[in-house]
Amino acid sequence: MSTKKIIGIWGYPDPEILNEIKLKYPSLQIIDLDQNLNHPNTELIPDNCCKIIKNIVDNSIYLKNNIELIIASVGEEKCDAGRFAAKILKELGLNIIETKYNKPGSGNIKTPIATSDLPLKQKVLTIMDNIIIPVKQEFSFKKADYGFWGVPPNDISILDLFPDNTHVYGWTRCVEAGAPADLDLEVFVDENIPTVFYAQTFCAKMQLGKYLARKYNGLYLDVDDVASNSVKAKIEAFIRLG
Amino acid sequence: MTKVIIDAGTSWSKILEISSKENFTSILLSANKNLHQYKIQEPQTFYDKDDKKYFGNLFLIPSTLAATLPVEFDNATGHMVKKRVKPNGLYENEVISLAYGAKKLIKSLKDATIVDIGSRDLKWVQFINGKYKDLDWNSSCGSVTGATVDMLCKFYNVDPNNISVQAEKIPVVCGVFAMEKIMDDISKNTPADIAIAKYLHGIAYNTWKFAKKPQKMYLSGGFCNNNCFIETLKLYCDVIPLGRYVLLGGLF
Repeated sequence: MSTKKIIGIWGYPDPEILNEIKLKYPSLQIIDLDQNLNHPNTELIPDNCCKIIKNIVDNSIYLKNNIELIIASVGEEKCDAGRFAAKILKELGLNIIETKYNKPGSGNIKTPIATSDLPLKQKVLTIMDNIIIPVKQEFSFKKADYGFWGVPPNDISILDLFPDNTHVYGWTRCVEAGAPADLDLEVFVDENIPTVFYAQTFCAKMQLGKYLARKYNGLYLDVDDVASNSVKAKIEAFIRLG
Repeated sequence: MTKVIIDAGTSWSKILEISSKENFTSILLSANKNLHQYKIQEPQTFYDKDDKKYFGNLFLIPSTLAATLPVEFDNATGHMVKKRVKPNGLYENEVISLAYGAKKLIKSLKDATIVDIGSRDLKWVQFINGKYKDLDWNSSCGSVTGATVDMLCKFYNVDPNNISVQAEKIPVVCGVFAMEKIMDDISKNTPADIAIAKYLHGIAYNTWKFAKKPQKMYLSGGFCNNNCFIETLKLYCDVIPLGRYVLLGGLF
């Protein structure tokens, strides 16, 4: 009998496959390998690679002996770098189940967490936790005065800089909608509210973020690892002056 | 009551102490008599954002010295002093201080791009119709701003007041490469002042480009005192120097 204790995931695994694995391994803990768990840098991939992908590789290697398997998002809902990471980790002996999930959003998409009165960080974390264990909770709607567009930042603390009346857009909102590869939903924002467009440095979403920030007169930011004082100051100034 | 306000830069700190009384006792000079040499003689009256008049002393002191002063500040900007603000004091980040300072200084501020060039960073705020529109702050490459020019002038014994504008520019996408180009130029017998002026041209061009190519730029920071830089920047846009105390003015 296996003594391994963890199921790893990244991106947005196909829910059907994730559920099957959950039923098969009910006692194993599921960990989102996208997160910065502060495990050592394996230096397996170049420095100028998205920090989220570095997290995936570093976390997987560090936890290798405890990981039963990894459900890896390798389709449009994630990115090429995720697909390559799956290949590398498979070659290094990890048990990888690749999934692709490009189901488009339905016309009537509901995203109660993204538009709730929770603090922004809590909104984003709840949306991501919702992939693993669906949240069965009612959320109160709060009208937005600000927007945050993008993926959950590696340095999640930057979300503390935003007021609670900030709505979530971009890929994170797509995740809540169950449509992580829906590009039309990903580029949707409320053009009437000042929005920060965030991407991880070296991620292809930088392209979208910069374009959308210009289109909607928002603030574009890309951050590699930990946000510098100037990045934090820019967010603060954008919110205060906007 | 005397208030002590600081804009703590990387190389230089701008400190203002103000009081509603004309003959107030200076907290700073009481703390360190040597600060006399760093006191700016003019002006001696200052106005807050509500146009209330104060009497004051303005200092421009090396930040290494500012770090040793046994003083807590009432109002401050610059992350080096974030922990030295009085419990009931006010800390603002540099971009916000720049925006407020510019609003206070430019009475008819409608459409304006205000750029502050520090020792190692570059930040700007844009207003359209008197309302905030855009901003940016580049502090990731510290080799392309004031401190490097200071060091080069000292190293090559060049008086920054005696440099003239050069049409040619040394590209400063990367400060390290730029430094290599300057030294390369000088090794090929280009006078140091010419090489530094070309470098200044590179900085001026980058500044203008980074600020999204405005037609007119309000300039803040130590480069307001560098005529060659201002004249070079004028190759690209109109320039209105605001001096190096804009952020300080945004704090009260």
